[in-house]
Order: sequence, then structure tokens, then C-alpha cells
Amino acid sequence: MKTLERDSDDRQLVEAAQNEPARFAELYEQNFVRVYAFFARRTSTREEAQDLTGEVFHQALASIQSFQWQGTPFVAWLYGIAANVLSKHWQKLGKHPAGELRDLSIGGEDIERSVMLGKAVESLLPDQRQVIVRRFIDQRSIREIAEELGRSEGAVKQLQLRALENLRQRLGGTL
Amino acid sequence: MNREQQAEELDREIDALMQAMPSCEPSPSAWSRPITRGLRLLPSEEFRARLKEDLLEQAESFESSQLHATSEILPSLRRESVPSFSTRQIAVLPADPRSLFLSFLSHAAVVALIASGVWVGHVTLVERRPVSELTYTPLPAGDTDPAGGGGGGDHNSLRASRGTPPRFSDDPLAPPAIVVPVEKPRLPADRSVLGPPDLKLPQSKQLGDLLSPNVIIPSNGTGSLGGIGDRSGPGIGGDRGPGVASGDGGGYSGGVYHPGNGVSAPRVIYNPDPEYSDEARRVKYQGNVVLSLIVDPTGNVRQIRVARSLGMGLDEKAIDAVERWRFAPGMKDGRPVAVQVNVEVTFRLY
Repeated sequence: MKTLERDSDDRQLVEAAQNEPARFAELYEQNFVRVYAFFARRTSTREEAQDLTGEVFHQALASIQSFQWQGTPFVAWLYGIAANVLSKHWQKLGKHPAGELRDLSIGGEDIERSVMLGKAVESLLPDQRQVIVRRFIDQRSIREIAEELGRSEGAVKQLQLRALENLRQRLGGTL
Repeated sequence: MNREQQAEELDREIDALMQAMPSCEPSPSAWSRPITRGLRLLPSEEFRARLKEDLLEQAESFESSQLHATSEILPSLRRESVPSFSTRQIAVLPADPRSLFLSFLSHAAVVALIASGVWVGHVTLVERRPVSELTYTPLPAGDTDPAGGGGGGDHNSLRASRGTPPRFSDDPLAPPAIVVPVEKPRLPADRSVLGPPDLKLPQSKQLGDLLSPNVIIPSNGTGSLGGIGDRSGPGIGGDRGPGVASGDGGGYSGGVYHPGNGVSAPRVIYNPDPEYSDEARRVKYQGNVVLSLIVDPTGNVRQIRVARSLGMGLDEKAIDAVERWRFAPGMKDGRPVAVQVNVEVTFRLY
């Protein structure tokens, strides 16, 4: 039943975007984390994953008119574009990634774990969330974060610990 | 271990992880590893918001090109839609007139910047600032392959009307014509233009010049010697040859556009930094290289040439980097097209 509802939502959003391209923003919000997660596990830097994610959405928007609903979720179409983009990217760089990186199959569990982690971070208390974003995504040091927040380094480390404990609690055994 | 020690221990482990030196020793905070590894892979919020803005801009350019197409089909509606705020045009105008005014001001500022020579791309070793708004002018020179062009006419007072060319042929027997003379030919022949027969251009029922502003009244154009256009020749376009577009030869001059007027600028989506040349680094040489290039409909870069040279091996380094850039192609009427842009690469030593 849930799948049917999701399909119906997907279909409505796609039709809206086909009629009014600005509505593509909703499809973007709904699928960004999954597409990004697809690249995050297969590239070496965040910047590379971000660039490729951007390329997928630009291509998807450019060809949204040609998308025909065939019962598969919209994200599957995006994964198809993502696999092509990644394959061309490797080809262009003359790179031949080994082993699991070369695998272009979707790897749904990994992606769902990233989605859940992203949601869990969003649900943290603001100060904990800020520490996690600055530390892991912006890659700042504890000292820099402490200066920015006007708190002691010890206090920031405590916030970091509490945030990670909360994430563990929210995610249970999924990671 | 108290909370303070636990927080210290955890932070040491995170530091090691951030420097890609995972500790081999199991620690009391080993539970955090899967989470911290996952967190390292999360995207930056700034990127996410920026990409959304970029997509909205791209969507807006699609909408405006669709609107442009609609207004060409309904020219009378187009005339009415700009000055009037009547409810009939409510869907194509901002709800608040102030938005229209602000939009006009911002666009005027952008156009002024463009006219003063702002580039579509800018890169430094530290910082990149691609600028993606430019004016549109169909490239007058046919510098892409095949490089044909042409255009005649029958001395009509009106410019040639818009449409698509007929098929290409190695041996065109009859020049294209929109307004066909009434006299009956003794030996009827298909109308065609000179060019490789396998060269395909967009086709429609309406024969004409792809770039003409005349979308209303059928005309062969103000030129002479048959064909369609405003110069003299049996082809289509604003020149003298037997082919299509601007140029003197057969074939098609490539349709390379500049952004603006319904053509969206290519958007940089992958732009690795250039390297510094050893020679320039040694003498602390700095400056800008300007590259002119074409972004083809697949988003790849081609025909890079140095428009402003810097020397000391930095031109080559700039080209090496820009060759690997990847773009979302420029769009016209919902289709990707080749667009010519300039990219400024700044080399600075800090």
C-alpha cells in the first residue's frame, strides 16, 4: 500500500515538473540524498560526489519531458542517469576503479542507511546539529568550532559526544 | 572512564578518521565508527541549497524559452502581454508589479556587465567564479564543421521567413523557396541545399531560415539569385553560399550560439582546478588567461583557443584543466545546443 502511495506521489510530482519545470525542485528534494549517496560510496572525495550529483539533476531536468511513467519509481530513472554519468566520469579520467567501486548496481541498503543518517542529523538539537555539520561536513577542527560558537573546546567535545550518542539511539542497529 | 575522558577519546578517533588514519586499536568508542564514517559522506548543506538554486534557474530558462515559443506562435498575445497587467496574462507575469520592476533592474545590470565583457567562467587556483549569464548573438562565422552557409532570395521587401531547411544533397537541382512561382516547371525537381546528404537538421512543414525573426509572413527574403535569405546565393541564411546559415560553402555552419534570447548559458558542473606551472611558480608569476571554447550539446568542451595569453606554461595548464570541465549544455527551445563561451582562469600565488 505504501509503495502504491509513493508511486502515485512520484507520478504527480513528475507530471507537475513536466508541465512546470520549476516544480522539479520537489523531485530534487525528494531524491537528492539517494542520488548523492549513490556517488558518495563510489568516489573518493565529497567534491567529486557533489559534482556528479549536480550533473545528474541537471541532466534529469533537461530531459524530464522525455520521462515516461512505466510503473518504476522516479529514483530508478535517476539511478540510470547516475550510472551513466559515473561511467563516463571514470572513462574521462582514465580511471579504472577496482572491486566494489566499479559495481554500478544500486546498492539499496547503503543508500537507505545514508538517507536515515541524514534524517537523523536533521532531527538533532540545533547546537548538536551545528557541531556535527561543522565537524564532519565542513571538516572544521574542535578549536575552530569552539571559537565560532563562543564555547570551550571541552564543551564542544561534549556536544559532539552527545550528538553521536543520540544518532546511535535514533538509528538503532541500522549502521 | 568519565564523560570528559570519553569525549576526548571519541574526538581523537574522529581526528584520525578525518585524516584518513583509522586507529587499529579497538577503543571504547568503537560504536561510533559506522556513524562517523557515514557522517563524513554526507553532502554539504550549502552545496545542496546552491544546486537547488541552479536547477530553479535552469527551470526558469526552460519556462521562458517555452513562453518565448508560445509568444511566437501567438504574436498578438505577445504584444499585449508585456505592458498590460490584465487578468488574461496573470499566469505569465509576476503577481506583484514590484517583482517585475526588480527583475527588470537585475536583468539590466546583468546585461550591462555582459556588455562590458564579463566572462561565462572564471577560475583561480583558490576560488572559482563561473558566471553564467551572457547575451545571445548567433555566431556569424561558420567556424565549426561542416562550415557551409548561404542565402539568396527574390528581392522581396520582407526578410526571409523562419522555418527549417530542406534536405541536403550533393547535387542540388532546385534552390529552396518558400514562395514558389506559379509557373509550372517542365522538369520538376526536389528542392535541396548543398551539403552531405546524411547531414540532418530539424525538420518541419515550414521551409525557411532557422534564425530569421520573420515568423509571420512567408517570404523568400530580400536577397537575390534564388534560395532563401538576404544576400545572394542558392542556399538559406544571411550569406552567399549554397548551404545553410552564415558562410560561403555547402553544409551547415554549425549553429553555435551565445547565451541569451532564449538560449541558456552552459552551466559548469565539474570544474577541476588548474595546476601551476613550475616555471611560473619559481618566479611567482601571476595573472589571467582567457580561453574561448564551445560547449557542445553533450556538455563537453571543444575548440578551446587562447583569447588572452599569460605565458610561462600557464596557458597550457589552463587548457589542460578546462579540457576536463564538464557542463550542463546550453538549451534552446528545450533542446541542448552548442554554445560559445569565454572562461577566465586566474593564477594567483598566496
